[in-house]
Amino acid sequence: MLPLPSFALYAPTTLDDALALLRDHGPDTTLIAGGTDLLPNMKHGLLAPRHLVSLAQIPALRGVWVEGDVLRLGAMTNLETVAAHEVVLTRAAALAEAALSVGGPHHRRMGTLGGNLCLDTRCRYFNQTYFWREALGFCLKKDGTKCHVVEGGQRCVAAASNDTAAALLALEATIELVGPDGARSLPIRDFYTADGIANTTRAPQEIVVAVRVPLRPARASVYEKLRRRAAIDFPMISLAARLDAEEGRVNALEIAVSALAARPRMIRAASQAQGKSLAEVPRAAIAEAAFKECAPLPNIEGDPAWRKKLVRVLADRALRRLGLGPA
Amino acid sequence: MKLQVNGVMHEVEASPTARLLDVLRGPLGLTGTKEGCGEGECGSCTILLDGLPVNACLVLAGQAEGAEILTVEGLAAGQLAPLQQCFVDDGGAQCGICTPGMLIAAEALLRRNKAPDDAEIREAIAGNICRCTGYQRIVDAIKHAAVVRAGGAS
Amino acid sequence: MTGLVGKPGRRGDLVRRVRGEVCFTDDLRLPRMLFAKILRSPHPHARIVGLDATKALALPGVVAVLTGKDLPVRFGIIPWTPDEHSLVVEKARFVGDGVAAIAALDERTAARACELVEVTWEVLPPVLDLDTARDQPAIGLGASGKDNVSKVVDLAFGDVDAALRGSALVVEGDYHFEGTAHAPIETHCALARYDSDGLLTVWSTTQVPHYLHRELSRVLQLSPARIRVIQPPVGGAFGGKSEPFGHEMVVAKLAMVTGRPVKILLTREEEFYVHRGRHPMRMHFAVGAQRDGKLTAVDAKTDIDGGAYSSFGLVTTYYSGQLLTLPSFAPNYRFSSTRYFTTKPPCGPKRGHGSVQPRFAFEITLDKIAVELGLDPIEIRRTNAVPGNSTLNGMRITSNGYLECLARVEAASQWKERRSKLGFGRGLGVASSAYISGTNYPIYPNEMPQSAVQLKVDRSGVVTVFNGASEIGQGTDTLLATIVADELGLDLGCVRVVSADSDLCPVDLGAYSSRGTFMNGNACLMAVREVKHKLVTAVAEKLAVPPADVFVTRGFLAARGLENQAIPVDEAIRLAEARFGTLGATGWYKSPPGLGGSYRGGTIGASPAYSFTAHVAEVKVDVETGFVEVVKVWCAHDCGKAICPSLVEGQIEGSVYMGVAEALLEEHLVDHRGLHAGPNFLDYRIPTSLDVGDVEALIVESIDPEGPLGAKEAGEGPLHSSIPAVANAIFDAVGIRLDRLPFSPARVLAALEAKRSV
Repeated sequence: MLPLPSFALYAPTTLDDALALLRDHGPDTTLIAGGTDLLPNMKHGLLAPRHLVSLAQIPALRGVWVEGDVLRLGAMTNLETVAAHEVVLTRAAALAEAALSVGGPHHRRMGTLGGNLCLDTRCRYFNQTYFWREALGFCLKKDGTKCHVVEGGQRCVAAASNDTAAALLALEATIELVGPDGARSLPIRDFYTADGIANTTRAPQEIVVAVRVPLRPARASVYEKLRRRAAIDFPMISLAARLDAEEGRVNALEIAVSALAARPRMIRAASQAQGKSLAEVPRAAIAEAAFKECAPLPNIEGDPAWRKKLVRVLADRALRRLGLGPA
Repeated sequence: MKLQVNGVMHEVEASPTARLLDVLRGPLGLTGTKEGCGEGECGSCTILLDGLPVNACLVLAGQAEGAEILTVEGLAAGQLAPLQQCFVDDGGAQCGICTPGMLIAAEALLRRNKAPDDAEIREAIAGNICRCTGYQRIVDAIKHAAVVRAGGAS
Repeated sequence: MTGLVGKPGRRGDLVRRVRGEVCFTDDLRLPRMLFAKILRSPHPHARIVGLDATKALALPGVVAVLTGKDLPVRFGIIPWTPDEHSLVVEKARFVGDGVAAIAALDERTAARACELVEVTWEVLPPVLDLDTARDQPAIGLGASGKDNVSKVVDLAFGDVDAALRGSALVVEGDYHFEGTAHAPIETHCALARYDSDGLLTVWSTTQVPHYLHRELSRVLQLSPARIRVIQPPVGGAFGGKSEPFGHEMVVAKLAMVTGRPVKILLTREEEFYVHRGRHPMRMHFAVGAQRDGKLTAVDAKTDIDGGAYSSFGLVTTYYSGQLLTLPSFAPNYRFSSTRYFTTKPPCGPKRGHGSVQPRFAFEITLDKIAVELGLDPIEIRRTNAVPGNSTLNGMRITSNGYLECLARVEAASQWKERRSKLGFGRGLGVASSAYISGTNYPIYPNEMPQSAVQLKVDRSGVVTVFNGASEIGQGTDTLLATIVADELGLDLGCVRVVSADSDLCPVDLGAYSSRGTFMNGNACLMAVREVKHKLVTAVAEKLAVPPADVFVTRGFLAARGLENQAIPVDEAIRLAEARFGTLGATGWYKSPPGLGGSYRGGTIGASPAYSFTAHVAEVKVDVETGFVEVVKVWCAHDCGKAICPSLVEGQIEGSVYMGVAEALLEEHLVDHRGLHAGPNFLDYRIPTSLDVGDVEALIVESIDPEGPLGAKEAGEGPLHSSIPAVANAIFDAVGIRLDRLPFSPARVLAALEAKRSV
């Protein structure tokens, strides 16, 4: 029906072998994790790597570990496992909810946490077949020079569409990578950029190894996703909120919103909750500020004005679920 | 390459970079697994890979090497399996094109959950689009099958 | 009656379906088979200036290339409007119009070769909306080249203007529907083989093998006697496979050119281009009423966006007005419908052909009138139920279970107790409709039967039904098996049905216009009764009793008073074969002459029988987000007689599911460039198992005097009023009127905000 282009497939069993393959085959090489997004994209001609390096056979990349006050999740852990893990459910609920809301159940079995974090940005003018994109005249992100979302736009504004990113941003996660120059780790906040063409700071020869989520006492988090169907759909708005509370007072509140443009956004107004008692948190004002701070674009389906209004609704719902503001 | 399908190890002349769906339907002749979109959006190519349902159009044959694959043809050797019988009895299929994938998704559910409720069933088949039935009879059939598998009355 | 008809039963053919053994078209593989791909136009409207396939032909693995010149004969489902070429000859008329075809050793090579075909285009102005179609006639998409008009129908019954002037209330409104797709899970697929003895065999995912047979003959200029058409089981169709398609001609021609079997499987994207989905319509309705709710007149003006080709458009244009006059209607009616051509994927018939859109407009208008007059919306439908046995546009009514349908949904939904009492955000809505059980109009004028079967009776006790009709998932094979088994006292397993193979089966016109049960069922009943007569005669002679004393029971034929000498059916068959010679029978159906009005177009929409439907929908509206949840739909449907109740219920449930999806989610959008907004299953959203509410199917039986065992249709009628029932329920829930489909949360929220700001 939709033939795949030709390529060679490698299945290294160690990270070193994987890095060596990336190094040896050069720029025409792409990593494949679960493949649920990569393979359709290849069928659409969005990329045509000559070499695919599968990470599926590397045991070190799979697993969920509690290391002191850190929850460490291997990048190749599938999303179903992430969503069902006891510690994720109880101590990092936003991540569990986000993982559970990815695609349909079959996608969550093949699909992995690392794959979701590195999901290519999406746009209605990009996620189409080669035929369709050629008929359009291509776009800034691939094969063309024109942005069809923003008239005259020079920067690609394709939307970050990974559910887990907003959750991990709110949870202050750290991402571990390994590359030709060794390992590094960085806050996930520094992982995403505003460039829709390639919205992460991962170098082409780097591999995402794991994600570290700090486990704090009295921490709660939630995830809210806007979509038309209750399964399969990518987010039209993705929102996660995290609360650290102590003795009925807010120590910290963070709200991350994604599926806007290439980079997920932290809501500044969340700081209004700081130091307030839970019931005194100005939930409506924070939701209103989130609404004002976010500007959805016509890059993905759904009326942007409606999606913008829904930022307010989702923020309000998330804070309500965290027990903030008047009942 | 070698693929373990429905309990039998097959030597197949196929590239590991071919879609698993094409290898099943082509050289292995297992046309019970259907293709509806080729993009992982309809679920009619659902198979079990090591007991877990996945879209065979999104799996490379090479990714399935060493794994146990189950297709609709492997659900029953002789008589219909209770799950299949319940789909027949309860009208869980009309045109039948989504049915093999639907059955496989249901089989995966019933293996790990002996008595699923409606919500769990609906969640388990949420990646399988049916255009004919509206799903209710499929949900009924799966619930019915759970009872039969547990040794209850059919 | 031997206990099968009317009982919940299972479909025999499901056993092979749940094993994955049923071979759909794409499951067929032939030795030396080639794969075809079609290069499609990237422009909505453009002339081919040059086409060079040299590079494509040179690609290793490519066996043949076809262009429009190789298939110059036009075709089309309606004999008066053959305006399609298998591949574009001069002008492409939509993005996705087929331009060239490649046959290659494998699909990937064929796809690659398509990209190597060099086409030089002269881009022409597109027509992407109804206003442009009307206001820029010079673009000339119409047959005359002087306008963009496909078909105009103006009909009037009674004095509408006077009746509206004399009305206590006239409710006017505009309604919009943007189009939806059938989206069967099985995409179109065709396979052709040309034998060295000159026989062309085509397997295809078609609902109309007979029309395909005719058009193949015409396009390939090959005698129909040299063509065999086989329709394997179809994986969903819903009207989208009910006419001949270019890709069917293309694989046939490629098989003839290459001498090898050739298959094509359309991609999901191409499925949205071949389309034939429900027509976008822009409808203006004015309906008058008196204070007591009695309707006075209906005045409808409808613009129809037909897309690139005629398809069934002539019929669509009539149906947009002709099928509205039941079940609740006014004594005066005028409609003016114009179908325009646009440079978009061609529209055609989808479940509820042409009549789902105006039903939406009319049923909301009726609800508005009821609210305005302070009447119960079910009551106003009763008040206006069309009396007697004919409609004002001349349709003959032979059975009518409409009032019972209303009563059933009223009771089941606890309408009186719950309507408008569920609190803000939750509500109930009602709507009703009627539909044809086949049309008496056979597409191409002829006096031959519209449906036929041949029975072969084997002395082993097996009866084979050679059946021209198309099994597309709706269960016609099971219906026929049930009729035969029940008449002869056989077990279902002793009746085999062979369907839709032009070499084996008599002609049936196809699975469209909800004709299967009525016409095919009657044909089968006629044949099986002839066989039964022979069995009864032979048994009567054997038992030395008058034939009138012989009756059929499950497994046996017996005579009254001699029950202990009952003869097994297989033995009865052998007795009859000895008595009469080899057993067999033919049966056919032809609709009675003179149906419909005597005015021009009066036979379009005329059916031997009409089904009736009433829906009540219960919705929950999230007033913060605009999301509408259809919690439950009660659907009562008068199918005459439910020969196979499980199948009828399945059709009702499937219709409601599809209708609610059109109400809430689905929209076939083409953008201002002529590009489909999202030709895939991510952007064209079909509900998943988590997105549907409960459906309660309520069967109403009115026993039609001409229907087989009293039966009428059930496959399309139950879709119609599901959409306005949801709209009316939304009004009951939150007080907003939605005039544009689908009721997306963005639209609902905008309407809620507009209401608040008033």
